[in-house]
Amino acid sequence: MASTYEGTIPTRAFGRSGDKISILGFGGHHLGEAADEKTAVEIVHQAVDGGITFYDNCWEYRRGKTEVWMGAGLKGRRDKVFLMTKTCPHGRDSSVALLMLEESLRRLQTDHLDLWQVHGMAFENDPDLFIRPNGAAEALEKAKKDGKVRYVGFTGHHNAKVHLGMLKTGFKFDAVQMPLNAFDASFRSFEQQVLPELNRRGIAVLGMKPLNGHGEAIKNGVITAEEALRYAMSLPVTTTITGMESLGVLQQNLQIAQTFKPYCESEMDALRERCKQEAADGRYELYKLSLKFDNPEARLAHGFPLDTQQSEVKDMLGSAQNTGHPFPEKQF
Amino acid sequence: MASQYDLNRRKFIQGAALLGVAPIMSGGSMAQQQKTQPQIPSGVIPKKQFGKTGIQVSAMGLGGYHLGSAETDQAANEIVAKAIDYGVTFFDNAWEYHDGLSEERLGKALRGKRDEIFLMTKVCTHGRDKKLAMRMLEESLRRLQTDHLDLWQIHEVVYDNDPDLIFVPDGAAEALSAAKQQGKVRFIGFTGHKDPEIHLKMLSHDFPFDSVQMPLNCCDATFRSFETHVLPEANRRGLAALGMKSLGGSGELVRHGAVTPEEGLRYAMSLPVSTTISGVDTMQVLDQNLQVAVNFKPLTTSEMQALRDRCRTLAGDGRLELFKMTTKYDGKIGREQHHFPTVQELPL
Repeated sequence: MASTYEGTIPTRAFGRSGDKISILGFGGHHLGEAADEKTAVEIVHQAVDGGITFYDNCWEYRRGKTEVWMGAGLKGRRDKVFLMTKTCPHGRDSSVALLMLEESLRRLQTDHLDLWQVHGMAFENDPDLFIRPNGAAEALEKAKKDGKVRYVGFTGHHNAKVHLGMLKTGFKFDAVQMPLNAFDASFRSFEQQVLPELNRRGIAVLGMKPLNGHGEAIKNGVITAEEALRYAMSLPVTTTITGMESLGVLQQNLQIAQTFKPYCESEMDALRERCKQEAADGRYELYKLSLKFDNPEARLAHGFPLDTQQSEVKDMLGSAQNTGHPFPEKQF
Repeated sequence: MASQYDLNRRKFIQGAALLGVAPIMSGGSMAQQQKTQPQIPSGVIPKKQFGKTGIQVSAMGLGGYHLGSAETDQAANEIVAKAIDYGVTFFDNAWEYHDGLSEERLGKALRGKRDEIFLMTKVCTHGRDKKLAMRMLEESLRRLQTDHLDLWQIHEVVYDNDPDLIFVPDGAAEALSAAKQQGKVRFIGFTGHKDPEIHLKMLSHDFPFDSVQMPLNCCDATFRSFETHVLPEANRRGLAALGMKSLGGSGELVRHGAVTPEEGLRYAMSLPVSTTISGVDTMQVLDQNLQVAVNFKPLTTSEMQALRDRCRTLAGDGRLELFKMTTKYDGKIGREQHHFPTVQELPL
């Protein structure tokens, strides 16, 4: 059954590198929501067979579980895919980032990454902390020089201005990841403020949150899943990363990607216009506004208080499987 | 009964206590209170110009929200009476504070003293129309036991599309004009704690506001700064600038060691503002404030800079200005009107 989809997803150039990757990317965080490891492995197998070549993950997702499960799923298939994971120093030293790299490689059962990104740039002092002497920028350079990673980048979902601040550091990024969807188009917009700058610089753009993180707007009938995915994939990006926690969601996404035809500009405008009213106060993009989508590890590393009695904070901790203490408690 | 809004704030303070830091704005044992009883100098609080109106108001204003948090009506009465004795003339409130309790308490406490003071309250349409705003005004006047306000402001302009909603035909801006024309309010303005860009969007409409209220404190000076972006514009336009959240909203700046209460208050009061509004729910907090405000002399430029520099690192990621960074200071009605889930109901 899976072979029906084999190798049928279109690909696009990864920045100026000469590599090509599938326009649909496999989001790592949701893999941790699969029923068990066996199911997760099956999802990854069918994703590879269905033509997805871009795999996203992160050192801190679910305390390592998603990297371990993806590593198991990609065993024997590593060479067929373009593998990315992220490091989570959140302002701490280069050595912290490099320790995380070794751990990620071990969990993912590989000796190199295609792309290694600094995770979750959110706070306004993140660019300064990144570029400082002995900061994460030095770790990216070293890992690339040592041949452990081919390309480097950064991610964040909170604030377009922080992304622009990262670009202003002058560091040579190969990729940048950010939320791109029909709501973002008119609210504190990455599409308007960051995307054109990345295109101008020839940096690979990785879109995420095509369904606003958890599909709230779809549940409320503002936009369909297909419209939302097609919108994101029609932007000038390299790939659109979305989570697939079950075989059902995977197949639905594969179908959309395999039959993908970009929207024309007037169709894009019509979708932006339809979502504009409800986008205007950010209610469908809580990752730009609410603590719920913040990252407890980042807040702890920044010395940002975590009021664990607060419901938004409880949601944040629950989704990261974090107890409100740094993970791992002693290592760093 | 305490409102949802109140519960959110209360929860926050309790949460902070769980993290091992003592709340300074809200209690402490009686023994501690007596030990730290400050000495209030004899004298009064100086006055400042309220924009270009020719009116003067006290350099420190009494925040209305916390009157609803005071333990009893009697406690609220005593706070207001003592504040007036020491020269506080500026009184803040809002239609939605504690479901009306804050206005009711202030109304009772001001009986017979209405003419001595400058009374402000806020309208809470959160994007809804003029008619509702006018109904809220009547209700506020009734609760405050007066026939007019000195200042009526649009409350909590914190969502990105609020300026658009306020200036639609038949929106809240028209209510401000009508109320002024009818003589029910002398001056008009708006407030918000979220984002300087939203304030600037409000000002860009060139509506004849008399005042604008905003958070001003040592951390704000270097982080998403109202002091840098909005205050100069308010001054340039001759609007009365009203400072608030001088200690972070719930004393965060003090609890996390950025400043002492005295430093925080003095910094805010030394800025080019008409008044600094500070919430008071106990006599201890009032005394702490009066100690700074009576006979107040502004800090020098270099003292101001030293405080900004000291707070710069702590300010850098917004960790002490949670009203800018999180939704926990956003009120219940505003969230409902913008279809945001309640704090308790997250996730969606």
